[in-house]
Amino acid sequence: MSMVQRKTSTVSVDLSIPVQADLVVLARLAAATVASRAGFGVEDIEDLRLAVEELCLSLVGSREDGRLHLNYECEGDAITVNCWYEAEIAANGSRGTDTDDLSLRILDALVDEHGHELRDGRPSAWLCKRRTDGG
Amino acid sequence: MDQSFKIGDEEIDGVPVVSASGEIDVATAPPLRDRLQALTTSGRSTVVVDLLGVTFLDSTALGVLVGALKRCREAGGDLPLVIEEPRILKVFEITGLTGVFPIFDSVRNAVGSVK
Repeated sequence: MSMVQRKTSTVSVDLSIPVQADLVVLARLAAATVASRAGFGVEDIEDLRLAVEELCLSLVGSREDGRLHLNYECEGDAITVNCWYEAEIAANGSRGTDTDDLSLRILDALVDEHGHELRDGRPSAWLCKRRTDGG
Repeated sequence: MDQSFKIGDEEIDGVPVVSASGEIDVATAPPLRDRLQALTTSGRSTVVVDLLGVTFLDSTALGVLVGALKRCREAGGDLPLVIEEPRILKVFEITGLTGVFPIFDSVRNAVGSVK
């Protein structure tokens, strides 16, 4: 994991992990660390942890190959997480089940914005969460 | 706070109760799915799932519980959940699942509802 502090209020963290079920926890951990460092409250941190988990799952589903790359960018009161999936056989990891719908509902409820796109042919997803006063 | 995942089961007043604690995610949901599947395929149509010790739960875990609920209801039973932690309850609320699962704040109340 690498962390670059570009200026006082902007922090960028990069994380790259092998796609393995027991390593997705690292994506949550990094999200919580960045959010805590940015002054997010407990409730916001927990929301972000779950949202980042769902973002990763929306890309890799139940696959166990390739790498997942995440960039956490904190600027002002917002954290943006970009995530992209790299594998020899590129494919969207959608689970194609009701679980995908649950994942989408969780993201809708917990973050301010989120989306999916193909970036240079690679499945990518992003989210943005702003700090709340009550967080 | 102990984040490690643990699963256990017991029988209370003739009702099987599966207890999970720690974080239920894509890595730890399969053992829970297997345990619930084993109970339903062995003929238990109603199983209480105690989530009082759960500290994190994602859509994979929800999918496991929804799958088990479907199997229980097809067999004429149910899958009452025990949840007290607001953080965990919130995940069920935002996914609309509070209207799908019977949810109780104690194992005793959950077992009492199906006896």
